[in-house]
Amino acid sequence: MQNLVKSYPHPENPKQLFNAVDGISFNIKAEEIYGLLGPNGAGKTSTLEMLEGMNDIDAGSATIAGLDVSKNSYEVKKIIGVQLQANEYFDRLNLLELLVLFGKLYMQDIDPLKLLKGVNLEDKANAKPEELSGGQKQRFSIACALVNDPKVLFLDEPTTGLDPQAKRNLWQLIKELNSGGMTIVLTTHNMEEAEYLCNRIAIMDEGRIIAEDTPENLILKYAPEPPQAALHGNIEDVFLALTGHELRD
Amino acid sequence: MFSSAQLHLAKVFLKIFFRNRQSIFFSMLFPLIFTGVFFFSGGAADPIKLGLVNLSQSSIANSFSELVIAEPSFKVTKGSLSILREELINGDQTAIIVVPENFSVTGDAGELNLILDASQVRQASSIEETLKNSLLSIEREVRGIKPMFNLVVEDVQARPQRYVDFLLPGILAYMLMNLCIAGSGFNIVEYRRRGILKRLFVTPIQPKDFIVAIILSRMVIVLTQISVMLGLAIIILDINIVGGLPSLYGMIIFGTFIFLCIGFFLGSLAKTQEAIQPIVALTSFPQLILSGVFFPISSMTEWLQPVAHSLPLSVVVSGLRGIANDGMSLLSINYTTMGVVIWMMISFFVAIKYFVWKEVAN
Repeated sequence: MQNLVKSYPHPENPKQLFNAVDGISFNIKAEEIYGLLGPNGAGKTSTLEMLEGMNDIDAGSATIAGLDVSKNSYEVKKIIGVQLQANEYFDRLNLLELLVLFGKLYMQDIDPLKLLKGVNLEDKANAKPEELSGGQKQRFSIACALVNDPKVLFLDEPTTGLDPQAKRNLWQLIKELNSGGMTIVLTTHNMEEAEYLCNRIAIMDEGRIIAEDTPENLILKYAPEPPQAALHGNIEDVFLALTGHELRD
Repeated sequence: MFSSAQLHLAKVFLKIFFRNRQSIFFSMLFPLIFTGVFFFSGGAADPIKLGLVNLSQSSIANSFSELVIAEPSFKVTKGSLSILREELINGDQTAIIVVPENFSVTGDAGELNLILDASQVRQASSIEETLKNSLLSIEREVRGIKPMFNLVVEDVQARPQRYVDFLLPGILAYMLMNLCIAGSGFNIVEYRRRGILKRLFVTPIQPKDFIVAIILSRMVIVLTQISVMLGLAIIILDINIVGGLPSLYGMIIFGTFIFLCIGFFLGSLAKTQEAIQPIVALTSFPQLILSGVFFPISSMTEWLQPVAHSLPLSVVVSGLRGIANDGMSLLSINYTTMGVVIWMMISFFVAIKYFVWKEVAN
């Protein structure tokens, strides 16, 4: 990514442009999990959408696996998998039918049951997406993003709104996909998630990257004070001790 | 010809439609209502309700009265002028004939008074015509004269004359337009609002594939619906498609294509589900009035006619009507087929050009 810029009309003064993404550059290595962090409106989703070919790149350039995103957007789309924040599907179709449909959009015949097994949803094969719980929906949307066996997987706030069991289950899934050789780019508001999952993290604010490094180095650099030795776990540990780690949906 | 993604997507859209029982029910309701209305309102014209006041005592006046009463196109009530006049004003009689006191065959032509309420009789002139004809033949009979000639009408084209024959192609085209615009325009706005289009957009599918798939699936749905309507019309209303069904279906397919594409375009114009309603109404309602669905465009104001003739619904209506009523073939080259082809190109172009995947209304 070189000097990526995305500008929108200013919300208060439409004649003026403001840069939601203001000349950022970063390099994501193959087979790493890369996290984009930042407050709401920092430009995370805009950055992802430019990489996914969903938004035009106003200035700068981006390449994925050697392909220029703005010039070869259809070629890029073939090798990436995308999970959006909002996931809605056609009505009256069950999970198997939807997965087969997504496969066809990539001109591929896929084994939908195998994909569902991969995200632990094989017993919901004949259910409709609206009958799924929050965590199941997220896992299903990841399954949809995997139909083309992508080289790079983009996840936009994958665990927002999930209960701790579902969240940890999803982390497990992301780790597994990554260990199979998949590059994963995700955005999140959950710092624990970023620290647990990501090999490297970029922190964005006001359209710029203000820090980028491995979680350990970032902590050493910006928060060197070691946390007091924990005498006990946190409330999430209490929650999980009481309700168990078993997935509920 | 079609890619496997297009065909599969089309199959999926069909599956979605046929799993929605309610929409199937309502889509079949309109053809049933239409044929029902025409079936029950059809048949011979009602007899004209006629009041008869006979002021003459002559035998000739009496035999005249009897013949008027016997005339099958009249439903005659005898009575006094004042009562009948009251009934006429109330709308219970259509007209009153007054046979004067001095009514006779010999001498000068007798004067018959016809009293009617023109504001109530919208077709006053046509009733007058019927009356005149019937009265003339009654006169001949009373006088014992043979008519000089019989007017034999020979219809060279032998094409249908009933209003329903004229109306059906227009209604078919209008129904086609509504089904198509609802099928593409409304759906696309809904898919976009829910972010489904956005999700499709991150796959390598192109607008063309998506549009072709919806056109294919809607074609099947619309042809099914139109066939139900046409089948009912042919069987129950005894409609004759002079130019043959293959040509008619060809024109229906062209029309479906045009209106689906227009629907896509309108769906891309509308940002929200609320906006699509008035936009669709604004395009379909003027066309319903101007496109010769209910009466021929040639009966419109002169300056309006070129505009009316060039509307997409007009070219489809006159195409269908030419085939159904005048026995034209789909392949005969004329202004209508040219208009159809031009509209197919325009609509497909604007549908693809302005297609919007992702703008989600907030």
